[in-house]
Amino acid sequence: MKKQTLTSLVSTVALVAFVSGCASSGVKNPSGVPVTHMNADEQGFVAGTGVESQDLVSVTDKMARSILAIQQIANAPTPPKIVLDPVNNNTRFPINKDIFNTRIRTELNKKSLGKVTFLARERMAALDKERNLKRTGEVTASADPKVQEFLGADYFLTGELQGLSTRTKAGTSDYILYAFQLIDARTSAIVWEDSAEIKKQGLEDAAYR
Amino acid sequence: MKVFLQAALAACLVGLAGCATKQPPLPLTGDIFRDAPMAIEKGPPRDKLLWQYRLALAEMRRGQLDAAKPVLDDALLTLGGVYGKDSDARKARKLFHKESKKTFIGEPYERAMAYFYRGILYWRAGEMDNARACFRSAEFEDSDAENNAFACDYVLLDYLDGFATAKLGGDGNDAFKRAEKNAKGAKPPAYDTKVNTLVFLDFGPGPTKYATGEYREQLHFRTVPSPVHSVQIQVDGIGANLKPMDDLNFQATTRGGRVMDHVLANKAVFKGTTDTIGDVGIFGGAAVLAATGGRDSTANQVGAGLLVAGLLSKIASAATTPEADIRCWEQLPQFLALGQFKLSPGQHTATINFLDSTGGTQPKFTKQITFTVPEGRDEVIYVSDQSTTPQTQ
Repeated sequence: MKKQTLTSLVSTVALVAFVSGCASSGVKNPSGVPVTHMNADEQGFVAGTGVESQDLVSVTDKMARSILAIQQIANAPTPPKIVLDPVNNNTRFPINKDIFNTRIRTELNKKSLGKVTFLARERMAALDKERNLKRTGEVTASADPKVQEFLGADYFLTGELQGLSTRTKAGTSDYILYAFQLIDARTSAIVWEDSAEIKKQGLEDAAYR
Repeated sequence: MKVFLQAALAACLVGLAGCATKQPPLPLTGDIFRDAPMAIEKGPPRDKLLWQYRLALAEMRRGQLDAAKPVLDDALLTLGGVYGKDSDARKARKLFHKESKKTFIGEPYERAMAYFYRGILYWRAGEMDNARACFRSAEFEDSDAENNAFACDYVLLDYLDGFATAKLGGDGNDAFKRAEKNAKGAKPPAYDTKVNTLVFLDFGPGPTKYATGEYREQLHFRTVPSPVHSVQIQVDGIGANLKPMDDLNFQATTRGGRVMDHVLANKAVFKGTTDTIGDVGIFGGAAVLAATGGRDSTANQVGAGLLVAGLLSKIASAATTPEADIRCWEQLPQFLALGQFKLSPGQHTATINFLDSTGGTQPKFTKQITFTVPEGRDEVIYVSDQSTTPQTQ
């Protein structure tokens, strides 16, 4: 009799423990997921077949190295002045286009040690306003504000992203060609061009197919 | 007796296993601008994308196009990252979990529309190449139709792909030819890159989902006749009559079978089979037990075994969930159309009349939209028969 009572007690406790334990089961990651630091050039556990940070890093690294090696930059008597023209996105992925030029510019500025000068054309409205304030004497000027000192570009750096996408029962495949050009602003000659290619494939869970 | 206890315990365990995923229902009010933010923040994560779709479209229909942008952006991030292992999707394929357990991303026509609406907003922001990217992704969502004849057959998406390309100085002819080839209703007009005002229109009730089959394992789309068949726009004395270029009802119903349909069919077969085995076991076991008259014998034990096996089979059958996922972006329209105008920079007001099948105006749907055409950039307006009026965009 005592043995039966003990068995019943243990069973009841086990059942209660089981029931109370089930309250949070079924909730994915109930304790959360700690922040994971990733390098920008490595693929994380969240990935699609589109343009991602690791692609941006590898492509812009390659472009920056490639530009620095060309004669027009490496052997220029004075640092060439470059204007960035936003890349043209001809893929199926909407992207922040400026991020490519921004990273190429920062990489070039970092690695070229003054061999190139970038012009802040995207800031022209603010710059023009400041110059006008100086010209009207509303703010001080360290040089004669009437003299035209805004620089003209020697080169335009721009690029295009082109894509090919395929979807079959085996999955989705996306190929993206990242092509960048340095164009002589005076002659329109393309003085440098380089490209990088990235292909990704994936297949979603059957529940989504 | 011991056997019955074991069976009862098994039933208890199965019942408890089901309790894990229950969440109290959200106190929905029927007001999308209250319900959607609450559902996105506090509701089941698997429904978040659906509420984002709903909220974005509701914002667009009340003229708050900028408010729809971040909502759609977040939704498209999820939509673009569904590759590979997904524990919820895996569960949705299991016998004892419903399909609706998976994170909602929608059927291809719903995904396509999410990209389409984001494309409109990109164009409006002057990012024509990103708009084109969205239209391409939208068309891409339609690329795995069972019958190839119905794959990538949205007219407006191809038309806009080519139009954006032409406006960006490229050659949009290939896309235009695809649009022209797929056009079933109105033929798309030739590209005029001087057009500086685009009016995106949608109207009519779109497809909704329902389930049929013995266990509601078959997904189907319900379509109802639209009270609106065409649109008439008046801007500054310029009139345009527009017919739909795309029909979402057609898109939803021509996609063909899904891989998931096979999974659900297998679940349904399992449910039916285990149910039948359960019946046979219970009745057979009960008959044997009755025949032995409760005497302790081998036949009695066999009868009890059959009864327990039947009960377990019934429990397995009851726990099997082959129901198709019928969560649905029910605000979607049936028809899509595009108006194009060459207007001078400055403020304009458009009157949009929605017409029935006889060409008569449906006054309850008439809209007035005031907008400003900017210098050197396209103005993009979005109008639905469900939009609020008057609006300033």
